[in-house]
Amino acid sequence: MMRRSEDRLWVTAGAGGVGKTTVAASLAVGAALAGRRVAVLTIDPARRLADALGLGQLTGELRRVQPALFEAAGLAATGELWAMMLDVHTTSDQMVHRFAPDPETARAILENKYYRYFSTSLSGSQEYMAIEQVRALADDGRFDLIVLDTPPAADALEFLDAPDRLVEALDSKAMQMLQSGRHGGFGARLLGRGRELVVRSLNTLTGGQFLEELVEFLAVFGSILDALKEASQSVRVLLRAPTSRFLLVTAPTASTVDEALHFQTTLASRGLPFGGFIANRVHVPYPDVPDAVLPGLAARLPADVPLAERLALLERLACGLRAHGRMADRDADALKRLAEAAGTPCAVVPLFPLDVRDLAGLARVARHLAE
Amino acid sequence: MQLPSLLQRRFVLVTGKGGVGKSTVVAMLARLSARAGRRTLVCELNTRERIPALFDHAPVGGEVTRIADNLWSVNIQPAMAMEEYALMKLRFRTLYRLVFENPLVRGMVGIIPGVHHLLMLGKAFNHEREVEADGRPTWDCIIIDAPATGHGLTFFQLPRIIRDAVPAGNLHREAADMWGLLTDPRRTAVHLVTLPEELPVRETVELHSRLARDLGMPLGYLFVNMMPPALLDPAQGDLFARLTEPPTDPHLHTLWAAGRIRLGREALAGNYRRQLAELAMPLIELPIQYARTFGSEQIGLLADHFLGQTR
Repeated sequence: MMRRSEDRLWVTAGAGGVGKTTVAASLAVGAALAGRRVAVLTIDPARRLADALGLGQLTGELRRVQPALFEAAGLAATGELWAMMLDVHTTSDQMVHRFAPDPETARAILENKYYRYFSTSLSGSQEYMAIEQVRALADDGRFDLIVLDTPPAADALEFLDAPDRLVEALDSKAMQMLQSGRHGGFGARLLGRGRELVVRSLNTLTGGQFLEELVEFLAVFGSILDALKEASQSVRVLLRAPTSRFLLVTAPTASTVDEALHFQTTLASRGLPFGGFIANRVHVPYPDVPDAVLPGLAARLPADVPLAERLALLERLACGLRAHGRMADRDADALKRLAEAAGTPCAVVPLFPLDVRDLAGLARVARHLAE
Repeated sequence: MQLPSLLQRRFVLVTGKGGVGKSTVVAMLARLSARAGRRTLVCELNTRERIPALFDHAPVGGEVTRIADNLWSVNIQPAMAMEEYALMKLRFRTLYRLVFENPLVRGMVGIIPGVHHLLMLGKAFNHEREVEADGRPTWDCIIIDAPATGHGLTFFQLPRIIRDAVPAGNLHREAADMWGLLTDPRRTAVHLVTLPEELPVRETVELHSRLARDLGMPLGYLFVNMMPPALLDPAQGDLFARLTEPPTDPHLHTLWAAGRIRLGREALAGNYRRQLAELAMPLIELPIQYARTFGSEQIGLLADHFLGQTR
């Protein structure tokens, strides 16, 4: 999975809770070990991941993982590893500032009552700024490879669509009508038959003043459209470049595998390059321990404990082994289905006894990904 | 069967980080509610449906469909929800078409953020008010598989945002009523679902504080899903702890190594569970189901577990 040295961008995507961020960090560590200059951008990483990279707290600032940390873990990183956290929560203000034609327009938008109410959920703007940041890094020239982590899949589709959707919405006929230079209220901008009736009906649904104010807001907001469209175009191009790849991370369960397959289809339909599946936290079966050997094993346990209790312990342990075995079967079923449906083998990262919490742990995941 | 009082509320929302098992908890609560003889409706919100499959039923789509005794399910679609709402207010389909086929109106619906979530919540809200010909409420219980944390918070806040943003009129009234329902502890309960792992616990602590303190929402149970059940009793644990050296016998070594990993996971999960116990919510543990497939049988086992902890 990590052998294609001509790649410039890897995007990890998948359902919530599958370990995308750990996989993204591991891919970056693996590439740095292979001599590449890598920047990894994660979203809301676990404390333990920031710790693992020796960064205490990941911030919106790009920071280098210290070479000494690699050495301390017995790793020889011939490349460089840089990391930052994407702040997807507070970026719509930045977007307005960046794309408004002049400071007055920016202020008019930022001070609008609707903007303040909606800025936390303004469709697409947060995702937009995150991807825009990737583009800036790609243009930077310091890095051979950028690894981008994305929000969970229900949103990941939105994440990828967001720039397009935002532009489409703002570029829609509706927006053009709002921008058409007509002045006056909502009714005056409305074309087509039954104008009066439409206005009256909408007022029934919403209450009059609301529409007027909203129209005013959207008309101002539309003024950032042109600049936004141009920037969005370059992000689209970057995501679809032959040197970009989407790696789909999944848990080895039936329902998440379904989501991963669905996601693969979605990538294809959007012309986004699929790079492979990564099954994370897979139960690997233990060797079989037949019940018949348990009495013999009991003899090897401390003799001051009654034999029946020693045997009872071994039976419980064997029971735990069988439980684990059922999970391993479940995982194997899911991975088989994934391989059959996708027509490609997938990389497998086993479930480790403890959470990955240091550079050595990330390097270990990276080795599994390289296989 | 008498349900615990928290489960007797009519409007139930289930939320948590992605991948923690929200749908599993929704299915379990739905099963308990339906078994108690209550007409129960499960609402999924424009998603890949999971609930019907957990009752051995095919996906149901946007129409309210019966999937088991006393149990109905629907996957709410924003466009259908909008049409339903608009028809309720405008009363005439031709008028609806005239309004919503107007390009300016259509475009604006797409641009305004949150409008889809508001429409879906609004449909669930209307089900709460639905009555039969004899005046009895149609639904005794409505359970909503709410969006994951992050998006979930925006979702919960929408009615309040709209209420405050829109000065007057129908939309203002609807939003105010919705917010009234969401914050009414006699009718509503918001259950949280989490896993005994680092990130889900951290998000749950944040979510709890936002929902309880900032939004004043009536919280219900905190479900800790996928708790590894204790493999050994205390005496067995003591004996196991005496095996400090890796055994030389290969079979014994396998049992020993697997046992250590399992006990390590139990200890870690126990630590996270203790952190969660500090939140002011009644905590329910749902054990990992060590099963090759996950379906209606596992939901039944979890329901029994739940009842065992609330008696």
